[in-house]
Amino acid sequence: MHPLDWVIIVVYLVYVLVDGVRRAKGTRELEGYFLANRSLPWWAVGLSVMATQLSAITLIGTTGQGATDGMRFVQFYFGLPLAMVILGVTLVPFLHGAKVFTAYEYLERRFDAKTRSLTSFLFLLARGMSCGTIIAAPAVVFSAIFGWDLVWSVALMGIPTVIYTMIGGVQAVTWVDVKQMVLIVFALVAVAVILLVELPVSPDDALAIAGATGRARVFDFSFDVNQTYTFWSGVIGGTFLMLSYFGTDQSQVQRYLTAKSVDEARSSLLMSAYWKIPLQALVLLVGVLVFVFYLFQAPPLLFNPADERAVRRAEPGALAALETRYGGVLAERRAAVEVVARARDGGDGPAVTVALDRFKARDADVETVRGEALALAERVTGEPSRDVNYVMPWFVLHHLPLGLVGIFIAAVLAAAMSSIAAELNSLATVTVIDFYRRWVRPEGSDGHYLLVSKAATGLWGVFACVVATFAATLGSLIEVVNRFGSFFYGSILGVFLLAMIRRARPVGAFVGLIAGMAAVAAVNFGAPSVSFLWHNVIGAVTVVGVGILLSAMQRPAS
Amino acid sequence: MIPDPTPPDLGSRRFRRTLLRVMAVQVATLLLLWLLQARYTG
Repeated sequence: MHPLDWVIIVVYLVYVLVDGVRRAKGTRELEGYFLANRSLPWWAVGLSVMATQLSAITLIGTTGQGATDGMRFVQFYFGLPLAMVILGVTLVPFLHGAKVFTAYEYLERRFDAKTRSLTSFLFLLARGMSCGTIIAAPAVVFSAIFGWDLVWSVALMGIPTVIYTMIGGVQAVTWVDVKQMVLIVFALVAVAVILLVELPVSPDDALAIAGATGRARVFDFSFDVNQTYTFWSGVIGGTFLMLSYFGTDQSQVQRYLTAKSVDEARSSLLMSAYWKIPLQALVLLVGVLVFVFYLFQAPPLLFNPADERAVRRAEPGALAALETRYGGVLAERRAAVEVVARARDGGDGPAVTVALDRFKARDADVETVRGEALALAERVTGEPSRDVNYVMPWFVLHHLPLGLVGIFIAAVLAAAMSSIAAELNSLATVTVIDFYRRWVRPEGSDGHYLLVSKAATGLWGVFACVVATFAATLGSLIEVVNRFGSFFYGSILGVFLLAMIRRARPVGAFVGLIAGMAAVAAVNFGAPSVSFLWHNVIGAVTVVGVGILLSAMQRPAS
Repeated sequence: MIPDPTPPDLGSRRFRRTLLRVMAVQVATLLLLWLLQARYTG
C-alpha cells in the first residue's frame, strides 16, 4: 500500500481520538456520561444508531456477499422500517418517558428486581462476547491481507476506541459516530462511482450480465421457514428481530435515550428506517459490480492471502494444477462475456439469449474450479473458508486509485470503531446502573459512579480486545455464546411487550422469559428446525403467551 | 437536564410528517428493487 494511504489512515485515527476525547468536557456527571444529559439532536442520534448497526463486516463481508450471492440479502432488512414505526409509538415513549438509564431498569419498576437482573445479565453475557467478535472479524481480515500479527490488528481498532469511549462517554460515541457515518457513506459512493467508470461495459450491460447469474434477484416469495432470506422471513422474522434489537438491546436503546425528547427519539429511529434498505442495497450493489469487474479482470483463485499461502506450502502441486485450469476457464468466461456485451450493443435479441446461456455455462465452470480450491483450502487449514470476506479487501488494495484505498480502509476502521464504542458504552452502563448501583453500592456519590463507569468502560474494552485476540482459539466458544444470545433476543422483547399489558404480573414475566428461551432452544436444536430469523418470533410469542396465562392464573392480592 | 425547547404538538406534527416520508421512501425503494429484478433477471 502507498505511504499516502497510510498517512490518511493515521491522520483519521488521530482525528477520531482527539475529537472523541474533546467531548469529555460535557460529561462531568453520570447523566452526562451515559445519556449526554438527554440533549442530543435527532439527526445526530439517528446517524449514531445507523453507524452502530453498520459494522466493519458489513463493509467487507456484505459487499463480498453481493459479489458471490447477489442482492437477495437485502430482504433481511425489509422488517426494519416497520419495526422502527412500531417502536416509535410503543417502547420509545415508555422508555424515554420513564427517565431510565437502561431499558432493564424499567423492567424493575414494572415487574421486579429479578426480571431486571436476569435480562441485564443476559445482555452483558452476549454483548460482552459479541464485542470481542466485532473487533475480531475485521482484525482477522487485516492480519491476513497485511500479514500482521492479530494482536496489532486488534490494537489498531481497539485502543483508540477504548480511550475515547472511556474518556468522552456517550457524547464522544455519538459525535464520532456522526463523522464516521459520513466517511463510510462517502467511501461506499466513491467505490461505486469508480467501479462504474472502470467497467468496460455500460451499467445497463453490467446489470444484465450480473442478472444472468441470478445476482439481480432481490425478492423470494417462497414461504419456507428453513430459508433465511425470503420476503416473508424478512418482513415477519425481520420485524421481530429489529424490534428486539432496537427496542430491548441497551447498545441501541441508549442511543435514543440521549435524544432531547420523545419526538426527537422517534425521529432518530425513523432516520434508520429511511436509509437502511437503500444503504444496504448500495452495499450489495457495490458487491455485484465487483463481480462484473472481475469478469473482465482476472481474479485470484483464493482471495484470502493467508489461505493461499497455506495451500501453496502444503499442496503446491494441487494448487498449481487448479491455477492452470482456473486460467483456462477464466479466459473462456471473459470471451463469453465480451460476446454478450457485443450482442447487446447490436440489439440482437436472440443472439443475446444465446450469448447469455453460453456465459452462464462458462461462469459455472469458473465456480466449479473455485469450489475445488476452497475445499482444498478448508482441508489444509482445517477451518471453514471465509473467502467471501476477502473479495472486497482484495479489490480495494489492487484496483482502487491512490488515496481512495486509505479512505476505504479508514471507513472500515470507522465502521468497526463505531460499533465497538456503542457496545462498550452500553456494557458499562448496564454494569454500573443495573448491578453496581443496584446491588453493590446504592448510595454512592455521582462522582464515584462516574469514576466506576469510566473504569467499567476500560475493563470491558480490555476484555473485548482479549476475546478478539484469542478469537481463533475461542472460535467454538464464541459461537456457542452467540447462539445462546439468539435464544433470548426475542424472549426479552416478549418481556417488554408484556410490560405494556396492564394485567401482566411479575411471575408471568419471569417464568415467561425462561419459557421463551426454552422454546427458542428447542427449535434451535431441531424440534422442529427453523431458520434463525424466526427464533425471535417464537421467543416473543411464547413469553407473551405464557406470561398472560400465568398472570391470569395468579389471584389478585387482596 | 436541558429542557426540550420543542413544543409537543410541533414535535408530533414533525413525527407524522417524517413517518409519511419514511413510508414513501420505502415504497420507492422496493419499487426500484422490483424493477431491477424484473428488468435484469431472466
